[in-house]
Amino acid sequence: MFQYALRRVLISIPTVFGVILIVFLMVRLAPGDPAMRLAGEFAPPETIERIRERFGLNRPMHEQFGIFVVNLAQGDLGRSTRTNRPVMQDLRQFFPNTIELALGAITVSLLIGIPAGIVAAMRQNTWADLVIMMGSLIGVSMPVFWFGLLAILYFSVQLGWFPVAGRGTFSHLVLPAVTLGVSSMAIVARMTRSSMLEVLSQDYIRTARAKGLMDKSVVLKHAFRNALVPVVTIIGLQFGQLMAGAVLTERVFTWPGIGRLLVDSIDARDYPVVQGAVLLIAVSFIVINIVVDVVYAVIDPRIRYD
Amino acid sequence: MFHRSIRTALALVMALTLTWSLAQTITIAQGTDAVSLDPHDVTDSPSATVVSHMYETLFDLTPEGDIVPYLATGADLSSDGLTWTVTLREDVVFHDGTPMTAEVVKGSMDRFLDPDNAFTFRFLLSRVTSIDVVDDYTLTFTLSDQFAPFLAHLTHNTTAIVLPAAVEEFGEAFNENPVGTGPFSFVSWDRGSRIDLERFDGYWGEQPGISDLVFLAVPENTTRMALVESGEADVAVRVPPQDIARLNANPNITVENVSSLRTIYIYFNHTMEPFTDRRVRQAVNYAVNKDEIAEFIFGGAVRPSDAAIAPGIFGYTSVGPYEYDPERARALLAEAGFPDGFSTTLYSPSGRYLQDIQTTEAIQSQLAEVGINAEIETLEWSSYLDFTNRPPADNTVPMAMLGWGTVTGDADYGLYALFHTDQHVPAGSNRSFYSNALVDQLLDDARSTADDSLREQLYADVLQLLHTDAAWLFLHSETQLVAVRDGIEGLVIHPTERVLALTASKN
Repeated sequence: MFQYALRRVLISIPTVFGVILIVFLMVRLAPGDPAMRLAGEFAPPETIERIRERFGLNRPMHEQFGIFVVNLAQGDLGRSTRTNRPVMQDLRQFFPNTIELALGAITVSLLIGIPAGIVAAMRQNTWADLVIMMGSLIGVSMPVFWFGLLAILYFSVQLGWFPVAGRGTFSHLVLPAVTLGVSSMAIVARMTRSSMLEVLSQDYIRTARAKGLMDKSVVLKHAFRNALVPVVTIIGLQFGQLMAGAVLTERVFTWPGIGRLLVDSIDARDYPVVQGAVLLIAVSFIVINIVVDVVYAVIDPRIRYD
Repeated sequence: MFHRSIRTALALVMALTLTWSLAQTITIAQGTDAVSLDPHDVTDSPSATVVSHMYETLFDLTPEGDIVPYLATGADLSSDGLTWTVTLREDVVFHDGTPMTAEVVKGSMDRFLDPDNAFTFRFLLSRVTSIDVVDDYTLTFTLSDQFAPFLAHLTHNTTAIVLPAAVEEFGEAFNENPVGTGPFSFVSWDRGSRIDLERFDGYWGEQPGISDLVFLAVPENTTRMALVESGEADVAVRVPPQDIARLNANPNITVENVSSLRTIYIYFNHTMEPFTDRRVRQAVNYAVNKDEIAEFIFGGAVRPSDAAIAPGIFGYTSVGPYEYDPERARALLAEAGFPDGFSTTLYSPSGRYLQDIQTTEAIQSQLAEVGINAEIETLEWSSYLDFTNRPPADNTVPMAMLGWGTVTGDADYGLYALFHTDQHVPAGSNRSFYSNALVDQLLDDARSTADDSLREQLYADVLQLLHTDAAWLFLHSETQLVAVRDGIEGLVIHPTERVLALTASKN
C-alpha cells in the first residue's frame, strides 16, 4: 500500500512539470500585453516600457521561464504584476476559502445525495424513485449561475434568511455551498442508486435476508458498505471538480476564493498569479486523485495494486 | 433619590442615543475591488473612490466643475507664466499625527514625478521642472513651458499628498498601509472582498456624519443590486439599465442618475480607406441613430454627444449632434464613390463599457441600412488595447469603440491627447491618427494661455472643427447609475466616476 502510494506520487511529478510548462506558455501565447493592461489604456509608452522592465517582461521567454522555475524551486512564485503582492500570499489567502466552499458543497451533496440514492434504490420504480431521479436530472442540468442568482433573490432578498454575498459566518456559507453542491448532489444520488441496485441483487444480500435480518440492517450494513466503492470515486473526482468549478459560484456570491482570483488575474494578464493559481489547482487535482486511489484500496481490500 | 435615578437613566438614554447616532456605517458596493491604495499608483475608479476618502489633493474639482483650494489655500502664477506659488493650509495632520508641511508636499510630489516609479498619471505634472520650499507652508512649482490646465491637473486624485516617511517605512507594502490626511483613515483590507475605513478624529475639515465606511467588491451585477435590496449595502454602483425600473419600484431605494465626464465614441482610422474621406465619416455619423440607442439600449441613461467632450468640462460647447438622416448618409456615400456602400470591421469591447457590445450591434444594423457592411470583432480587453495601439503601418483596425474620461474637468485633457498630431499611437493616445494642422495650433494655443475666456473660445473652435471633420462617430456621454437606500444623506456622485461619502450621513 505504501509502495503503491509512493509510486503514484513519483509518477505525478512529470505531470506537474508538464503543467508548469503549459501554464507558462499558455499565458504568454495569449494575446494582450500585461504592461499595457496595467498602465491603463492611455499611458505613455515610456511608462509601459518601465513596467515591462520592472517585471522582467522585456526579457526573452526562455530566460523568463528559467527565472520562474528557479524561483519556484525556492517556493517563490513571484509578485503579482497587478497588486505587487507576493503570489504565495494571495494563494494562501484565497485557497483555504475555496476549500471551505468545496467542503461545504461536498457535505451538502453527501448529506442529501446518499440518502436520496438509497431511498430511490429501495423504492425502485415507485413515485419516490421517479421524483428523486427527476430531481437529480434537473440538478445536473441546472446552470450554477442561474440557480445561484435565483437563490439570492429568493432566500436573501425576499425572505432575508441568508446574507446575499461575502464570506464570514456559517450562514454566509449556506447558499454558495448548496449552489455549488447541487450538481454533485445529483451525481452522487444517481451513483448511489445504481450502485445500490447492483449490490442488492447480489447473492450475499439474499443470504442475509434469508437469515432473517431486518431490512434496515441488510441495507445499511451489508449493502451500503459494498455500494460505497464507486461512490467514493465519484466523491473524490467531484471534489476536484468542485474546486476548479467554484469559479462561477464564487463570482455570484462574491466568495473570495481561488477561482475569482484566477479570473481577475487572467483579465489583467497577471502572469505570476495565473501561473500560481493554475499550478495550485492542478496539484490539488493530482493529490486528490492519489488520495482517492488509496482510499479505494482501504475500503475494498479485494483491490490490489501491483 | 428618585430624581437622581431618573436623571441617571435619562443621561444613560441620551448617551446611548448619542453613541448610536455616531456609530453609523455606510456600505458601498463597487463592481471590483481596489487594485492599489497608493494614490499615486491608482488607475481605476474603484481604487480612486476608496483612496479619495483617505487622501486629499492640493486643489479639488467640485461636482459643478469648479477648481477650489483643498489642502492648498491658494495659488499665484508668476508674470512669465512659468512659476506657480502654492500656499498650504496650516492645520492639516496625517492619520499618524504628522503635520503636513511644504517639505512633506514636496516629498510627495517628487515621488509622484520620479520617472523610476513609472506612475501612469505622471504625465499630468511632467512639465514641472522643480519644486522649491519657500517656507513651512509655501512652495513653488516651476514649469518648463506655460501650461494653463496646471491647477486642474492638481485636482486629479493621483496627485494626492502622501507622507514620504510612510512610503519609506512600508516600502513595497505602502499601497496596503495608507496614511493620508482625509476624513477617513484605513482600518483593514480583505483582498477581493472588502475595505474598512473609520472616521479620522483629527481631520482638519468637516467631520463625517458616520463612524465607519465599508467598500465591498461585488463583480456580479445582480448580486450587487441584491445587496442594496436586502439592505446589506447602502449604495451600489453601476446599476444595469434593465434593473432601473425594478429598483425604483422598491420604496427604500432610489437610482441616482448623474452624468459622467466620460465620452463613448467609435473612432475612424484616418489613415485607412475609405475613412480618409470626410464624406464617408460624415455618412457614418448620419447613418447611426444615437437617440434610439440612448433610449432602447440604455433606458435613457446616457446623453447623446453634441461635442467630443461632455458638458461639465471646462471648454465644452455644444456644436450640435449629427441628426439621424439615412438619406443624407446614402447621398454622401454615393458622392464619395460608394453608391453601394462598402465592407469594414468594427472593433468592439465586450463588458468594458456599459452596454458596449449591445451598442455596436445596434450600430452594425443601422449601418447595414445605408449599405455599410460592418463586421464586429470583439477582443478581450488587453488584446483590444494592443491592437488599437499600433503604428499606422501595423494597424489593422478601421473602426473601434473607446471611452475617454476627462477626469481633470479641463478640455485640454480630453482633446489634446486624442486629436493632436503629436499624440498618434504608440507615442500618445491618438488612436485614430486624426491630424489637422489648425486643430494642433488651436490646442497648443489653448494650453499656453492663462486667459480663460480666450481658452473657451479656442476649444469651441476645436470642437467645431472636429464636428465638421467628423473625426469620430460621436456616440454619447455616460451617466453613472447608482442605487442608494433611503436615509443616506450627503452622498456625492462625482462626475469623475467616484462615489464620495466624505460628508455623508445615515438616518
